[in-house]
Amino acid sequence: MKILVTGAGGFLGKQIARSLLMQGQFDLRLHFRNKAPAGFIESLLKEFPQAQIETAAANLLARGSFDAMLQGVDGVIHAAAGMKGAAADMFANTVMGSRNVFEACGKTGIQRITLISSFAVYKTDGMKPGDTLGEDTPIEPVGVDKGPYGYAKTRQEHMFMEFAAQYSFETVILRPGVIYGPGGGALSPRVGLKAMGLFASLGNGALLPLTYVENCADAVARAAVHAPSGSAFAVTDDNIPTCRQYLDGYLKNVQKMRVVPLSFGVFMWVSKKLVAYNKASKGQMPAVFTPYVVKSMYTPIRYSNEGLKRIGWTQRVPTADGLSRTYAWLKSQLPR
Amino acid sequence: MLRVGIIGCGKIADGHVEQIRAIGRGEVVAVCDREPLMAEQLAVRMKIPGRYDDAAEMFAKERLDVVHIATPPDSHLFLAKMAFAAGCHVFMEKPFALTALQTREILALAQQAGRKAGVNYLYNYETPGLELEELVKKGTLGEIVHLDTNYGYNLAGDYGLAVMTDPGHWVHRLPGKLFHNVLDHVLAKVIPFLGDEIDTRVLAFRRRGPTGSAIVDAMPDELRFILRSGGVTVSGNVSAHGRPVPHTLKVVGTNDSVELDYTARTLIRASRWSAPSALGRQFMAWTQAKQLAGNGRRNITRFRKYEFHYFQCMRVLLDRFYDAVEGKGPDPIPPEQILRVCQVIDQIVEGVNACMAEQNGNGTAKEVAA
Repeated sequence: MKILVTGAGGFLGKQIARSLLMQGQFDLRLHFRNKAPAGFIESLLKEFPQAQIETAAANLLARGSFDAMLQGVDGVIHAAAGMKGAAADMFANTVMGSRNVFEACGKTGIQRITLISSFAVYKTDGMKPGDTLGEDTPIEPVGVDKGPYGYAKTRQEHMFMEFAAQYSFETVILRPGVIYGPGGGALSPRVGLKAMGLFASLGNGALLPLTYVENCADAVARAAVHAPSGSAFAVTDDNIPTCRQYLDGYLKNVQKMRVVPLSFGVFMWVSKKLVAYNKASKGQMPAVFTPYVVKSMYTPIRYSNEGLKRIGWTQRVPTADGLSRTYAWLKSQLPR
Repeated sequence: MLRVGIIGCGKIADGHVEQIRAIGRGEVVAVCDREPLMAEQLAVRMKIPGRYDDAAEMFAKERLDVVHIATPPDSHLFLAKMAFAAGCHVFMEKPFALTALQTREILALAQQAGRKAGVNYLYNYETPGLELEELVKKGTLGEIVHLDTNYGYNLAGDYGLAVMTDPGHWVHRLPGKLFHNVLDHVLAKVIPFLGDEIDTRVLAFRRRGPTGSAIVDAMPDELRFILRSGGVTVSGNVSAHGRPVPHTLKVVGTNDSVELDYTARTLIRASRWSAPSALGRQFMAWTQAKQLAGNGRRNITRFRKYEFHYFQCMRVLLDRFYDAVEGKGPDPIPPEQILRVCQVIDQIVEGVNACMAEQNGNGTAKEVAA
């Protein structure tokens, strides 16, 4: 079975390739925007000498230009997405790129596509303390209130299902929480924000839905091959810390910061004021955090990865190890 | 209320919609992009009722008064023709057109149709730009002798990365590549001080290492130029490597000189050694500090009055453009200035391309026009 991984040069994409090889999928085609990161393919071949790895460079925004990349492929893991930039750029890189991939897959007769989506698509405004977010949680109908990234990922998922209906390919969706690990970002906005020499600590006692990049990649590889068609999974690890615990670990192991904790009440008040100010000032300050987003961040809900366990996924890197590796790497990246 | 449409739904379109709404002079009733998904995302996020992937259909159905064209410049002439034929005024995103020849054609079409053609030379309307306008009007600076314009960009930023990693990006199709897309910002501020005859000298080169893509590597990233028109000269620096990313203008007059920082939104008059001896020099730094503090105070006041938006300058420019559309004021950027900017861009682009053709890593100065 030949599997194509799009966005294989990304933070998660690189690990997906390795996880597929570890799970015995040796026939891979890896897509990169331009070229593979230096030494990446060589290191995979050294570790897995029996692997058959092909590489393909393609601009996914160039519709109809990469059909050849899909020839001879049985399954696709679509991990390429726009993670930053202006709202329109994020949408173009995520949704237009995906449309082009799904369309090309449909025309080429690809049998099965696995989409890497995001926690951002979940409809969380009705969730109460103690509720569990998992594969049965509904997703947003539109997602604009979740911000540009949430909107783009929501539109991407809905479009995925439209193409699946049109071309009858099998679908699997993975919705990772906060992917972390060496090479990733330091502090998710769920944990807090740096401003004017201070760090505003957010989320407090709410669980931080972490998934270590290698564990997340294992889940993707497992689901891509073994999950029933039509399934969707929330991807988080076990024994995840609260936002405050993660920050405490960062302060202890990476660097000291002057921290100002913001309680739910204070931050909700700030977000309402921000929305009102944004309206009154005609956009002078962006309403970065809406009350919806703040409620999602602070509501102490639980996260389920039972669906993943049912298809045989196990957490390879314990959370404590993942955190210590990440903190050590982050510390090594600090300017000397 | 004027009925406004937007063609081109990339990231700058957000700025147009927000500022049209902020000035309250028009209602954005429709958006158009030949990529339906892009039209959809702008319409959904901004709650705009009409969305099209065919400009002709939008013009036919929406009865627009004004259209903002925010597409890449190779489509501007075609779309402007369509807009004027539909009786619309046109506000164009920069670059105004691909060449001065196309610019002349668009401006002539506007005149024939009796409609306005504006352009988003927004930085002329940043607060220091508006203060400069007042100083020049009052004659405070005397005759202008020289202008030094600095503009930077970050190839590691979102936009820079898009250009650097995508050989198919439309910027690579422009005759002057990346410079072609930023020279309006550099030149629009200085052109009002120059006449029709402008000598141009250009030095351009690529400072960064090769990427392996012939298209991307053909793009220079450092540009220096000198313009002379009669007794006024301009020196220009467009840089991808200077940090912090500069956006400044120094204006040297026969009576006084000023320095404008468009990022900090400050205008500082040059220090003057007015008291004698070494003791006299002590006062100069404090005089400058007092001016900076004054700028800071004024910026706080503007912030309190909600006049400190990132696109405040576009807001002021659009207000004046809509005044012109409604016959309440002159064109904020007169057609002859638009044409002159485009003519100098053509000259500089010619010089850039001559430099790039000749060099193998080192820059060569070229005299382009005299």
